Amino acid sequence: MSREIIMVSNNIKELDRNDSTILSEVGISTEDEKRSGTFVLKDSEPVCSCSSLEGVELLPMAEALEKYDWLWGQYYWGLIPEDDSPLPMDQTISKKPLGYFLRVKKGEHVKLPSQAALYMTGSLGKQILHNVVILEEDSELELITGCISNAFMRGGEHIAVSETYIGKNASLINTMVHSWGRDVRVKPHSATIVEEGGSYVSNYISLRPAGIVDSNPVTYLNGTGASAKYFSVILGSESSEITLGGDVYLNADETSAEIAHRAVCTGGKIIQKGLLVGKASCHAHVDCSGMLISPGEDGYIESIPGLRSHHEEAQMSHEASIGKIAPQQVQYLMAHGMEEREAISMIVRGFLDADITGLGPELDQRIAEIAELAGHGE
Amino acid sequence: MISINDLQVEVEGKNVLNGVNLEIPEGEVHLLLGPNGSGKTSLIMTIMGYPQYRITGGSISMNGQDITELDITERARLGIGLAEQRPPSVSGVKLRMLLDYILKEHEDKQERVLELIKEANMESFLDRDINEGLSGGEIKRSEILLLLSRQPLFAMLDEPDSGVDLDSLELLSSMINILFSPKKEYPAKRGTGLLITHSTYMLDRIDVDKAHVMIAGELVCSGHPQIIMNKIVDSGFESCIECREK
Ligand SMILES: Nc1ncnc2c1ncn2[C@@H]1O[C@H](COP(=O)(O)OP(=O)(O)O)[C@@H](O)[C@H]1O
Ligand SMILES: [Mg+2]
Repeated sequence: MSREIIMVSNNIKELDRNDSTILSEVGISTEDEKRSGTFVLKDSEPVCSCSSLEGVELLPMAEALEKYDWLWGQYYWGLIPEDDSPLPMDQTISKKPLGYFLRVKKGEHVKLPSQAALYMTGSLGKQILHNVVILEEDSELELITGCISNAFMRGGEHIAVSETYIGKNASLINTMVHSWGRDVRVKPHSATIVEEGGSYVSNYISLRPAGIVDSNPVTYLNGTGASAKYFSVILGSESSEITLGGDVYLNADETSAEIAHRAVCTGGKIIQKGLLVGKASCHAHVDCSGMLISPGEDGYIESIPGLRSHHEEAQMSHEASIGKIAPQQVQYLMAHGMEEREAISMIVRGFLDADITGLGPELDQRIAEIAELAGHGE
Repeated sequence: MISINDLQVEVEGKNVLNGVNLEIPEGEVHLLLGPNGSGKTSLIMTIMGYPQYRITGGSISMNGQDITELDITERARLGIGLAEQRPPSVSGVKLRMLLDYILKEHEDKQERVLELIKEANMESFLDRDINEGLSGGEIKRSEILLLLSRQPLFAMLDEPDSGVDLDSLELLSSMINILFSPKKEYPAKRGTGLLITHSTYMLDRIDVDKAHVMIAGELVCSGHPQIIMNKIVDSGFESCIECREK
């Protein structure tokens, strides 16, 4: 089918049943009464783009660019300079981009989450997209982004530029769940700006590791009292190479940031980084913790928490630890009736959850799945 | 219920049990006494199946089934339970997670366990990591609570009084009494178990049917708990050592 004749549906219920089953794995719900807005991109086709609320606007990016001429420059390529983009964005792609435009209007406290599904089936080697998310003053939204490739898919590349604008006293919780096929290369390039009193929470969970993931989201806390929290959980296995970063620039007074990376390595390479840059009176902490479970000859975790301070009132700290599961702990749980793999799962689960609360049932479920996989030594 | 036959065990290449024979019939709670380092904990850990305690000879059986080759999980599932002397802390794993796991299959017991948690004043432990940063007495309470929620057929308690203040001793004693109290199905039969303690305070509150004395990895004496305890309180284990040499 050629692109022109595909209609973008405005009802998620019209999704192919197969597709909806696959998408549910990464937290995408096809019951529209559970979501305030939905965007689905299948390979290079936006197959659904809808919102059930006046205050939430969700459009394919190309359509949004046509509709709003203020987008380009101010928001689109507003945070990531087009020239600096390390991605192979040629002009044609840039003018008619895939991806979505999401805007929550001023004062709108959206109760139900919105969701974006980026789905690759293998009929396309590459998925290149560009998203813009704008939260206007005093608005609130929870966004679930699910990225998944068809289990049969071999190879492929997913490249995404995302620019997020969080206005004064606005709050965004962005939960990203990835489940990629084995050899997929994934390169997200995200930047977020947070204004006065705004808050940004980014949760990243990687269920099935891709071949190569290289992500270094950058957040600028530019307004007084702005805050950012990054939390990531990744499971690496043989043949995966995951580099997960997170830079937060604390540019204004009373800003705060927290980065918590949790990695479980059953093989492959995992590099977890985080860089906090304090340019004002602020509080920030970065924690990169890892756990090795039979990583094999070549598997490793490298943790690089970083601090850079420009200001004497910047209070910043870091920690990093990498360990293995203590056999005494496993045996202790076994003595209470658990099988060895159940015990390992529970310990991994505890490690992944540690010090992090209030993720909600959806994410708890994902973490439980990862712990389960780790217990099987996957 | 439990039959131990000429059991020999080594830890890190060192013999710690040198031919232990022990018989604990169903419905009896036995007391294990002995000086520090005599091998009491080793015996209990070996019965539970901890692989560091390597069995080099002899056998253990439960209700006629030889369990010498079974792993920890299999033994736990057969109904063996243990409140350890020095349990590890399990960072990240909340007591609640383990309790939920245990109670998952015994929904009928949930209510009772919740009551116990209240009675033992343990609500605040539930969301803490298992044993991490707990005081001696708190660890013992947590260990016994776990046993109570599992209701093992054969329960072992390794020095439930050590490092515990007097107030907690009272509470721990009553928790142990609940553990060994008769079940609905057999109103006239007590639970079965093996208790290690030298606390007369505790022994005044918990009935034991028989006492054994371990010296240097061997059981040298068995008999009436009161008589043996009195002897030990009087003259320590010296008399047992002399007795053994005769
Ligand atoms: N894990 C271990 N590693 C090395 N030695 C041990 C270990 N466990 C016990 N032992 C040794 O075995 C002997 C018996 O110890 P234990 O069974 O703990 O005695 P008890 O409980 O009677 O005090 C001691 O000499 C002790 O040092
Ligand atoms: Mg001991």
